[in-house]
Amino acid sequence: MKKKVSRQRFSTGRAKRVTGKGLKFSAFFIGVGGEGVLTSATMVAEAAHLEGHFVRGIQLHGLAQRGGSIPTIVRFGSEKDVVSPAITEGDADLVIAFEPLEAARATHYASKEKTAFIIDDYPYMPVYANLLDLPYPPMAEIVKRVKPFAKDLMVFNAHHLAEEEFGLAVLGNTMLLGAAIGAGVLPLKPASFRSVIKAMPRRADDNRKAFDEGLKLGKR
Amino acid sequence: MTVLAKPNTKTVLLGNEAIARGALEAGVGVFAAYPGTPSSEVPITMAQVAKKCGVYFEYSTNEKVALETAVGAAWSGVRAMTAMKHFGLNVAADSMGPIAYTGVKAGLVVMVSDDPQGWSSAQSEQDTRYYAKMFRMPMIEPSNPQECLEYTKAAFALSEKYGVPVFLRTTTKVSHSIGTVKVGKIKKPVTRGEFKKDFDRYLLLRPNLQKRHRVADERLAKIEKNSKKFVKSIRGKGRVGIIVSGVSYDYVREALRGLGLSPPILKIGMVHPLPTQAIKAFIKNKRSVLVLEELEPIIEDFVNRVAKGANHRLVVHGKDYLPRYGEYTAELIIPALGKALKKKVPSFAAHKKNADNAIKGLPPRKPVFCPGCPHRSTFYAVEKVFGKDVVFAGDVGCYVLGLFEPFRMQDFMVSMGASLGIAHGMTRVSDREVIAFVGDSTFFHAAMPGLANLAFNDDKSPLVIVMDNSITAMTGHQPNPSTGVTGMGDKVQKLPIEDIAFAMGATVEVANSFSQRDLLDKLGKLRKAKGLRVLVSRGECRLITKRKLRKQGLEFNTFQIDQEKCKKCGICTDHFACPAIVEIRKKKGDEPKYWINPDNCWGCSVCMQICPYDAIRPGVKK
Repeated sequence: MKKKVSRQRFSTGRAKRVTGKGLKFSAFFIGVGGEGVLTSATMVAEAAHLEGHFVRGIQLHGLAQRGGSIPTIVRFGSEKDVVSPAITEGDADLVIAFEPLEAARATHYASKEKTAFIIDDYPYMPVYANLLDLPYPPMAEIVKRVKPFAKDLMVFNAHHLAEEEFGLAVLGNTMLLGAAIGAGVLPLKPASFRSVIKAMPRRADDNRKAFDEGLKLGKR
Repeated sequence: MTVLAKPNTKTVLLGNEAIARGALEAGVGVFAAYPGTPSSEVPITMAQVAKKCGVYFEYSTNEKVALETAVGAAWSGVRAMTAMKHFGLNVAADSMGPIAYTGVKAGLVVMVSDDPQGWSSAQSEQDTRYYAKMFRMPMIEPSNPQECLEYTKAAFALSEKYGVPVFLRTTTKVSHSIGTVKVGKIKKPVTRGEFKKDFDRYLLLRPNLQKRHRVADERLAKIEKNSKKFVKSIRGKGRVGIIVSGVSYDYVREALRGLGLSPPILKIGMVHPLPTQAIKAFIKNKRSVLVLEELEPIIEDFVNRVAKGANHRLVVHGKDYLPRYGEYTAELIIPALGKALKKKVPSFAAHKKNADNAIKGLPPRKPVFCPGCPHRSTFYAVEKVFGKDVVFAGDVGCYVLGLFEPFRMQDFMVSMGASLGIAHGMTRVSDREVIAFVGDSTFFHAAMPGLANLAFNDDKSPLVIVMDNSITAMTGHQPNPSTGVTGMGDKVQKLPIEDIAFAMGATVEVANSFSQRDLLDKLGKLRKAKGLRVLVSRGECRLITKRKLRKQGLEFNTFQIDQEKCKKCGICTDHFACPAIVEIRKKKGDEPKYWINPDNCWGCSVCMQICPYDAIRPGVKK
């Protein structure tokens, strides 16, 4: 049976879309180490670079890659405005949480005034939920915690859809990038992403399909 | 986005990649390193392009050997470089000191990355700038990827001009930040050279020693006078100035733009020797300055000293407004700017408190052993045989994750190879059983002298367990002598750890990390044995196995739990703690259901071996 597309949106208004001169866009990506967070963030950085933006950001490697929580930052815009690699408290324009629980850990960077959240609903259970007897929260609880820090909040089941369609849940990451563009909360062109995807060494076709599907999901 | 981008184009690079590109543009001929986060991506990048660019690259067995390899090349007239983490310099320091006196013929750049905040598995927030002072060596410090490239090139030029090895220092956030970088032309390297004998220069015995010490000092004085390239004075409003180095330069520029403030800024890119004249000129008409530097107040102290002669009324702020520990952030710098410039600035405290509350009570996601990790299996078996009352001497590598729940089997972690020496000291003063864990890469890096010392001096030696996954896994899977491949991808003979231990007179057993029966059997034997005992627990890093399978288009055979046989004892989750095994409860207090997520199961089969009810079986995917 085909999975139903699930998309929930909790908005208090669309995130502002800034383009052209004076653009300063800060995106925060968070997920589980080894689950493709870095790859997705790199795709965004490359797409922004293709569009002629000045790019900055932070990628933490090392211990973080072992199943731990992994935050990555990509910022782009004009060279004058995008100077620091970091995002100041509450200053993210976009948060993409590739794993629901990790969305809550992004709240430091987010604020009601400007941040759009894109969250996937596919949980990756941390072993500490068992070990420390801290149960994994249901999606509704996560939404409740994140909402005060979000101007716009969308929950997708991209990983479920990707697993069904491509047999590979991680392609849901690319779908979420498409969804962010489709929903108008990531000011980059689909064409730039398609060029970036074309140059991918593996699964370029599937990534492209996942991206296009994401675009549609975001627009709905 | 590539380190081999065409000349005069722009590309996005990681700070460490930009350093590698800078080295290529400077025509580096020899690059040797031992991997250490946050510097690891410099050698990783070099390894990828070395053959193509005609550079000799190697992963050496430790930082000292890597430095010496580079020195041999530089003395022979070939431009050479090494890169290491801050602790790596402690290892290499023994040779670094003398090299600063002898100097070099061709350029020698020593990249070293500090890690304030301890993002890597660092055990101290050491500030390596003191090494530059101690060894009388110049040290330059870039702030972002563009500068990483430019400074690396400039470091080679500086090194050759003055015949001196040059430190290129970064911190984690410089090495691991990305940025748009304009690249230059990659230079074809010179890779052949010849050492010319010169007793007066290379043999540091007195009175020659004092002569060379003097040469090093005079060199520094000359370098200081020519350090303009690394100092940037930005005009601004008011009589309060900012003196800044490292990543804080980018933080403060963006923060000031956001606040609509423009005080004068002095950016310092050479942290040793510090530019006395530039600082004098900058502070002359200032009422006060705020010094922004992570870790120790080295620049701040220097500014205070210069101010005594140049502007004795100058008020110098720095570590009174900002911490000496951890790394700087905009959230720390902005309030300090507010205080120094006497302006109202936004406070982050309320927002931070709310965000802290949003996470409260949620399960943490600390790093864990990967699914199928051979180390998990080894720790599990060791606990079975020895319990938890013994002392677990820890060391540096992926196995240090054994410090977390549920294992808690690394009682301390000091430095590479330290487990053996400390364990030895303990067995000399106590009858308590001690087990020292050490990885294969760490074994070759620094544990062999410790093992020889055990053979030499300890008749009731601790049990040494070599966690051999045949790769330097934690820093990103670099080969080491147990791998059978060099840094440039050439096949070589594997160095068998068991033979080395045997040659030292140890009773040695080799166990398959993925077989509990084998582990229990060999551990039992060694527990009864006398003298120096070594277990080599060998199992390939599961990430490598995963990659190999993927290349062949194969997948792991996964396992599943038979719900009828499962007695819900929780051993597989609470004691074995594989991230693929999930305990599901609809709500708190409900009877749990145990399930293996086939997406995360990497097929090691150890959970099947430890299940007391025979409830885990090879399962069909999904």
